[in-house]
This record gives sequence, structure tokens and C-alpha cells, in this order.
Amino acid sequence: MEKNLGGMCKAIRKDILHISKASGHGHIPTCFSIVEILVALYSTVRHDPKKPKWEERDLVVLSKGHGALALYAVMARFGYFDIKDVEKFGSFKTIFGCHANRLKVPGVEVSTGSLGHGIGVAVGMALALKIKKSARQVYVVIGDGESNEGTVWEAVLAAESQKLDNLTIIYDDNRSHPRGLQITNPSEKFAAFGCSVSRVPGHDLNELSKAICSPNHGKPRVVVADTIKGCGSKTMMSDVYAWHRRSPSDAEYPILLKEIDEMAV
Amino acid sequence: MRKQFRDTAMDLSLRDDRTVMLFGDVSVYLFKEFQDKYPDRFYNLGICENTMISAGAGMSSQGLIPFIHTITPFLTERSFEQIKLDMSYNRLSGNILTCGATFDYAWDGATHQCYTDLAILSMLPNLEVIQPGSRKELDVLLRSQYANDKCTYYRLSDKPHAIDLPAEFGKAVVLKDVGAKMTIMTAGPILANVLPAVQDLDVNLVYFHTIKPIDRNAIIKFKETKILVVHDAFGLFEAISRVGGLSAEYYGLPEDKFCDTYGTLEQIRQDVGLDVKGIREKARGFLNCK
Repeated sequence: MEKNLGGMCKAIRKDILHISKASGHGHIPTCFSIVEILVALYSTVRHDPKKPKWEERDLVVLSKGHGALALYAVMARFGYFDIKDVEKFGSFKTIFGCHANRLKVPGVEVSTGSLGHGIGVAVGMALALKIKKSARQVYVVIGDGESNEGTVWEAVLAAESQKLDNLTIIYDDNRSHPRGLQITNPSEKFAAFGCSVSRVPGHDLNELSKAICSPNHGKPRVVVADTIKGCGSKTMMSDVYAWHRRSPSDAEYPILLKEIDEMAV
Repeated sequence: MRKQFRDTAMDLSLRDDRTVMLFGDVSVYLFKEFQDKYPDRFYNLGICENTMISAGAGMSSQGLIPFIHTITPFLTERSFEQIKLDMSYNRLSGNILTCGATFDYAWDGATHQCYTDLAILSMLPNLEVIQPGSRKELDVLLRSQYANDKCTYYRLSDKPHAIDLPAEFGKAVVLKDVGAKMTIMTAGPILANVLPAVQDLDVNLVYFHTIKPIDRNAIIKFKETKILVVHDAFGLFEAISRVGGLSAEYYGLPEDKFCDTYGTLEQIRQDVGLDVKGIREKARGFLNCK
């Protein structure tokens, strides 16, 4: 594992770009918005990439399942598998689908894709660990667009009612909501639901890592991460709609790589 | 039948500390003794069926055995995608037990009725579908299936039949095999009306409590007879028809309409022709058909 996590994040963005170009699949802007969130998680939580089923591991759930390519790229950097294996992303009979399958990819805890599911499953995991009196933690990454789904708020309500202080919800606030229902002041909304909320710059590894472990006073912990869709590429940041589900052409690819190198993320 | 659920769950929980009840603000008082005895294994999550299923899947992933319970349409129709993805696709296991089958809540109207659950859940991989007709059948089948690696659906009824039949998962019961040219096939509590309606007619009678996997051998045995499927839900006829090559007809729910008459279970059954008289008339008419 690379010790320079900032450098790792750039390398991960390049992996995402490369695999998307090679496969013709992937939601690059949403993947770029969660790179630091996932790197902060995997460098903080208890896990062993060589033993993905280690019984004392913490559990990480990517509820916004369309960010699967980012998850694969981060997990590869942390040693779960070789990034070259991910190059067949979305192709026939690959284990690395455009939405992750827990039965195929080692280390993936929940198969997600349809939005608003992973957080409910994470609530059940956290409740189960409480019942078993385990110290293990559950972390779930949700999106602001995903939070248009009522099930997200059902799950938050259930988490608070069961006092699940072993559950951390990381809210990727990449402002995709102008396309749908706008969620203004998410911190206030989560706080109103009874969660312990902190808000951090979502591409700052140190701030994210601190927030993930911050005191949560017996409540579910919510980290509202202010992120930028397409962060790392000014081309994508300037037109996230066009790039929502699009892979770079041969001509665009070197330009985007250069942008990643030049970006002070 | 809910009392039987309580009694069986109580007994199973005594021996197996992996069991956890997740209830949707229904049958909570009935399980008071359970809550008192196992306070950390009973959760009234409130009225959020989708999250109940998702949370049950999450608990299953951590080695617990959830029993998820509330009213039939809300848990199966509203939360179909949670059952499909979080349980079935993720290949997680548990027990989904609903109350309020078909017309059990007749007086509440179509919002509280459910005819589709057996049919739609039968389409999901890794799911078992059971319609116990009696308290005994629920007891036996819940004990045999609760801790396997499947998600199992049990459609409980507040109006079970009291006919004592063998109960083995996946095995139909042949109540009458008189070598007749016509066979009645049915499932669940409606047997209480079907049996007296056809007992003295020249028909064979086959009863199912397991809808998926359906007992194909029991169907194939009567393949050469004309089959009349009498059922107060969708799902049994479809399961039987998948055997193929049958001459089978469905009798039960009206076609393409809600049963939106209020009243009692018995009144609605009579209204749609699923009372003893209506079933008998249909069976006799079927017998006389060339």
C-alpha cells in the first residue's frame, strides 16, 4: 500500500479513467467524488485485504452502487485484487460488474445498484453487531441524489431509534441534486433525525479520517462530505451532466490524465 | 395462526440464540412474553417495511436469523424490490411471515388485501414460498425451514383450517385418489371450503402447503386428468402450470378486478364464489364439461 495517500488518490483516478476508457463503462464523475472518502475509509477501518472474510473486520457498504468502479480501484490499491483484473469491468463473465456483487468480488459486503438499499442493509448489520455485543463498526457511503429515496430516511430513522452508534453514514454531497429533488442543509436534516453530524471538505483525507472516528455520543454518526462531482478533472467538473455516464475518447484521454496530474486535490 | 407463530418462535428461540424478531408495529402485544424473555431479540421497527427487509438482510449477513413480520401487502408488494435485491440477489436468508392473506382483512377493503404475494415471490431465486393452511402446518414447516440458507416466505392466515394433514416441506398431500378423470388442486386455508364442497364428488383432491418448490411429482401423477385449481390467490395455478402439458383451469379470484366489497372473509368468499356452495357448483359444472 502506498504511504502517500494523496498520490494514491491521483493514481486511483487514473485507474478509473483507464478502465472506463478500456471498457466503455463507468460513472466517472461520481467515482471521482468518492475517491478520498473510500481511501479515508480503507486506511482507517479494521480490515485485512488478504482475509476479506476476517471475522473481526469492520464493514464498508457502498450504497451508491454506481460508484463501483471507484470502489474496485480503491480496493485494488489496498491489495484486495490486482487492478489489471478490473480492466474487464462490465464485460461478459467478469466478476467486476458496473454494480458490485458481493458473491463475486472479495471484500464487497453488499451487492448494490438500486439506490436506497445499502443503507438499510447497513442498519441491519449494525443492529446485528450490537446484539452480538461486537465492537465492529459499519460504514456506509450514500449519495445526495440517492437520498431522494425515502428508504434512506427510513433507515436513518431506524438507526437513530436503535441508537446505532456503531454506524457511520458518509454522505457524498456532490450536489447532483439539481437534477432531482434538492436536499438543502443535509447536516441539519441528519441532526434533526438525531444523528451526530460533522461536515468536512470531502476531498481532504485528514479531515475525512478524523470525522470518521469523531466522538458520536451514542448516536449514529453522519459525515457530510462536501465533494465535487468529477473532482480531479476540470473538464468533467465543468460539465458533469455530459460526463455522467460516458467514457473518454482517445483524444480526450491524455487531456484528462494531464488534468488529474495538475489538479491540487 | 399468529399465536402458533408466537409459540413456535418462542420455542425455537429457546434453543437457538441466533433468532431475532423484526416487527412492523403488528402483533407486538401478542409477542409481549417473547419481548420480556428476549428483550435484545425483539425489535418493533415501526411502519417501515422496506427497511425491515433490508435490515433483516443485514442481520442475516452477520449470522443472525431474522423473522420479519407485518401485514401481507405492505411487506410483499411494497417491499418487493427489497426482498428481490437485499435478500434474493444478495443470497441472504431469513424468514418473512405475513398476516392478512387475501381477504382476511375483508372489512378494510382492497388496500389491506393481497392476492399477488405467492405469485411474485415465487419468481425470485433462492426463495421458498409456503402457504400453511393450519397451525400444525405452520409449526412443522417453520421448524424445518427457519434456519436454512434460503429466504422463506410464510403466508399466515387468521382463518386457518383445522384439518389434520401430514406436513412435510415440498410435499403435497393427496387427500383423495379415486382414479377420477378430474382432479381438484388447492392450497392453504381455503381447503376448509374445498374439502366439503367436493368430498362426495367423483374427483381426486390434491392439497399443497408449499408453493415453491411445488411438488411436481404430485402434479405429474394426475397429469392425464383434467385439473381444476381452486385457490384464493395467484401463484398456485402458475406453479402447477409450469409442469407443462396439463389441461388445467383456474377458479378463484375474479379476473382483472379488485375484490373491493367490504364485509367479512366469509361474505367476500361467497361474493366471489369461493364458499362451499360456489366451489361445489364450479366443480360439478367442470365434471359435466366435455
